[in-house]
Amino acid sequence: MENKAKILIIDDEEVVLDSCMLILEGGNYDVATEMDGTVGLKTVAEFQPDLVCVDLKMPGISGLEVLEKIHSLDPTIVTIVITGYATVTSAVEAMKKGAYDFIPKPFTPDEFRLIIRRGIERRKLMLETIALRREKEMLRENFAAIVSHELKSPLGAVKQNMFVLMAELSANINESQKNRLDRMMVRIDDLLKLIHSWLRVLSVDIEKVKENFTPLSLPPLIVKAIECVDPQATRKNVEIVTQIGAPLNPFDGDEVSFVEALVNIIGNAVKYSYAGSQVIVSASEKDGVIEIAISDQGVGISKEELPLIFGDFYRGQSGERIEDSHGLGLTISRRILEAHNATLSAESEPEKGTRIIISLPISSNQG
Amino acid sequence: MNQQKKLLIIDDDPDFVEGIKSILDAANYSVDVAYNPKDGLNALQTMNYDMLLLDIMMGRGAEGIMIARKMRKDAKLRELPVLIITGIREQMAFLFPGEPVHPRFVEVDELVEKPVEPQFLLDKVSALLQAAEARKGKAG
Repeated sequence: MENKAKILIIDDEEVVLDSCMLILEGGNYDVATEMDGTVGLKTVAEFQPDLVCVDLKMPGISGLEVLEKIHSLDPTIVTIVITGYATVTSAVEAMKKGAYDFIPKPFTPDEFRLIIRRGIERRKLMLETIALRREKEMLRENFAAIVSHELKSPLGAVKQNMFVLMAELSANINESQKNRLDRMMVRIDDLLKLIHSWLRVLSVDIEKVKENFTPLSLPPLIVKAIECVDPQATRKNVEIVTQIGAPLNPFDGDEVSFVEALVNIIGNAVKYSYAGSQVIVSASEKDGVIEIAISDQGVGISKEELPLIFGDFYRGQSGERIEDSHGLGLTISRRILEAHNATLSAESEPEKGTRIIISLPISSNQG
Repeated sequence: MNQQKKLLIIDDDPDFVEGIKSILDAANYSVDVAYNPKDGLNALQTMNYDMLLLDIMMGRGAEGIMIARKMRKDAKLRELPVLIITGIREQMAFLFPGEPVHPRFVEVDELVEKPVEPQFLLDKVSALLQAAEARKGKAG
């Protein structure tokens, strides 16, 4: 049988080896034994066991050393220490070194069988976890390509043809028909934007932006971000006000992604604002930390929801339904800002508004 | 000397091609289409085009890039203006680690993102054609 678990037992006492063999007989195991640590390690490499039982007290190379070597060879091999009563302390030490469990001599067959079964179970779980992690990683990496090609391309083709149709039909359709075409275009654009956000979250290793850090001055970035959000604010009749304190020191960052984070957060503030209200973007520096605060006078967030807002796929529950929200903006912003060693916090009161605070360390070269 | 310009589109998505081609047709360009890289290369090598509109993600991956690379090595095709039309701008960084988001595949290219607005497409095409014309004038 292919999936028989492989067990290696290393002990200098033949009687122990024999009884272990006897106990495990009839179980679904493939058992090998060695009487010496050095030979045992060789067998580990050849036999590739799932689980190794090691006696701590052996002549020649010590059990602890054998353990260490096994773990450097393959950390997923489960090791169990066999020990006499006198060496419980060293068993504890062995556990600290990564042994999964220990069994004191003498032991009953049931005790031994149980500990082996648990050890094998552990090994299975470890291998499964590794396989799953690898699979997840592959999914994440491939997702970008799949999403991009399989979802974006058809939408792109649709939109491309809409462009043409709108131009070709413009003379022959009435206002209402034209409006419907325009709405279709808006919806397709929203979908494309959503796909783009997914791509950002799932495929882009935001840590990589750190490689391109340069000293940046904050105020122009705030101006840039507000320019991006302005059309949206004008449409909603929301005024964006900036309050920038005394000259700020530069900080280390990546301009494009930092502006993206600001756009997301300021855009969010506008999105959840009441018409006719203000969004205030302020920045000040204290003790080497720049504090950027984005406050709105909008729907606010309840106490229960507040801790969730920076999580993946969160979107506001309170107040009106926000049409083009897909709950990824703040996640992306959080990741970008964390890459900048900044911390994000939020204060909010329902119906009064929300205040998002970014604490950003200034460039390390500055006083 | 205002003869009709001949353009080639290489893209494996017939619907998208239709959306591009009708814009170019309406602007009085003569447009050929190849729906896979192999036919595309073949057409490039046997016919005389004034410009190539090239998709990147075709077939099993970024096969458009292979075309661009082959063109770079070809003395005649090297001069041909290439407009890359792609939906994968943000993924360029993965294909070319360490290179800017807007990599130059061949010396004479431009890159636009799918989908592309009709007027924007026409502007790009005529600008590239003019630039190629100007280069030719200098060389001659």
